[in-house]
Amino acid sequence: MNKYEFVIQKSYCGGVPEMKSILETVGLRKTYRIGSVNVEALRGVDIQIRAGELTAIMGPSGSGKSTLMHLLGAMAKPTDGKVLIDGEDIANLNDYGRTEIRRKKIGFVFQKFNLLPALSAKANIEVARFIHRDARSREDDQHLAELLQMLMIEEKMGRKPSELSGGEQQRVAIARAVVNRPAILLADEPTGALDSKNSEIVLNMFRELNRKFKQTIILVTHNPELATYTDRLIEMRDGRVVHDSEPVSVYEKIPTLVV
Amino acid sequence: MISASLISRPVRTLVSILAVALEVTLILVIVGLTTGIANDSGKRIVGVGGDIILQAPNSSILLSFSSASLPVQIGDKIVKDIPGVQAVTPVIIQTNSEGGLETVYGIDPVSFQAVGGPLVFIKGGLFKDPTDIVVDDIWAESKNAKVGQQVHMLGQNYRVAGIVEHGRGARVYMALPAMQDAMGAIDKASIFFIKTGADAETVRARLAAKLPEYKITMAKDLMSLMSSDKIPGLDAFIRTVVFIAVCVGVLVIFLSMYTTITERTREIGILRSLGASKVSVIRLILEESFMLCLLGVGVGLIGSRFIASGVHMVFPTLPIEFTSQWYLKAAMFALFSGLIGSFYPALKAAALDPIEALAYE
Repeated sequence: MNKYEFVIQKSYCGGVPEMKSILETVGLRKTYRIGSVNVEALRGVDIQIRAGELTAIMGPSGSGKSTLMHLLGAMAKPTDGKVLIDGEDIANLNDYGRTEIRRKKIGFVFQKFNLLPALSAKANIEVARFIHRDARSREDDQHLAELLQMLMIEEKMGRKPSELSGGEQQRVAIARAVVNRPAILLADEPTGALDSKNSEIVLNMFRELNRKFKQTIILVTHNPELATYTDRLIEMRDGRVVHDSEPVSVYEKIPTLVV
Repeated sequence: MISASLISRPVRTLVSILAVALEVTLILVIVGLTTGIANDSGKRIVGVGGDIILQAPNSSILLSFSSASLPVQIGDKIVKDIPGVQAVTPVIIQTNSEGGLETVYGIDPVSFQAVGGPLVFIKGGLFKDPTDIVVDDIWAESKNAKVGQQVHMLGQNYRVAGIVEHGRGARVYMALPAMQDAMGAIDKASIFFIKTGADAETVRARLAAKLPEYKITMAKDLMSLMSSDKIPGLDAFIRTVVFIAVCVGVLVIFLSMYTTITERTREIGILRSLGASKVSVIRLILEESFMLCLLGVGVGLIGSRFIASGVHMVFPTLPIEFTSQWYLKAAMFALFSGLIGSFYPALKAAALDPIEALAYE
């Protein structure tokens, strides 16, 4: 079993297996000060994400979903509350600590792809590997080869972002985000800049990543269609979680999740 | 990543490299010129052949600045009164600034030959008339001067009587009385070159005892005394030039890196989101600046050689001398200015908030 797999408690006796929570927030609050006004972006968010889940966080603009993603991705500090990744509270970490968390445990996919324009697709992926710093093994190379094959971008590695279509750029961005096998992949409106055909391709890639590598994925979106690709839907409004559907059929998924 | 970044912004890269190259070239050419002129002057003075140089009190080691204040009769007294002195030749020195800058020696050919051997003539012969001059081969080549040709210098016309091999004090010589007359310094000399027997140091001590007020320099020490730190004002001049050049380098690199940080705010946000630490971002910017400076140093070193060749072609009498010490110093100054110039932009880049940087348009 690798680290992407569900941790299934051996001791469970029937029913839905108890699975490890890889990401948890407790009473999460974030207040921004704009001029002399305090804006409460998050007003006490409690969620639990289990390892291997493909979750969508949805909500209209201003609902706090992007702020939540930044906090889950250790990009910012909450005003109050906890963010537990693998049981470690990252809420009070300093910049160095948060950087380490991002480096070791988080992968990001953005709406605008955010590839480095001067570098080839391959070099964009290599940058992530370089930043991760861990010695590269043959397994890692195999993993990358598998990823590229799955994302269907093996032939595009020598091209610069400007020479790739939007869908190809986003697939390179996905490869970059997961090449170091992060515990959690956070995707912020990953299809927001794509046409419907490429959106479908990219969403299927997320699905495939989740199935094949047991990658925990959190998609942040305002597009309701995207939810149909996920196991779980968390809806937000005015900085609060207003609806959280449990995984539709986590139990049913187990046969496909265990290698 | 650094090379890709440099290639992706060719104009910025080229301008930065050229600016650093200019800094290196400026330092090398100015120092090369001062070193070259001083060393060339020193070598030619040593080439006169004297073991000891006697100057008026408080004279400059730059002989061109020596006034004609010494009575010629001192030379006779030295020969007569100081044991060990074989020959003394008085020289009156004037600087000609017409059509260039060169030292003109007024010499007494007989005693000049007694001190350091005869002038080696390539063409023509010694001056026979007060308006005759003898020039060295480099001067003749640079002015395209032929024997018998009239040249204008020191405010009047002179005839080139002969062309000699270079390396004996000045590039232009005329008769001692003729120059004394032209300068209104009858029976005066600027310096004396003294030829001694075996023990020049003993003779020097005797001279110092006899003429305690005068400046006495051993010819063998002259080269070291002609270094920039020994010549009054020259060291300060070089320091000023280097300071200005380093300031130019710092400002250009600062501007270049500051601009690049602004242009690449989003890229820095991407790197930070991938887990690059602040230190990594600082290192990235400094390394890029270092690379720019390194390329600039390379271009500057090559450029300074080209400029030296150009100067030599246009002004053959103007020597530029590059030393390995100054190659190294110029490179270090350029790299140092790059480091200083990119430090603040690097800190600014590292301080960017990853979320704001990613949202930057």
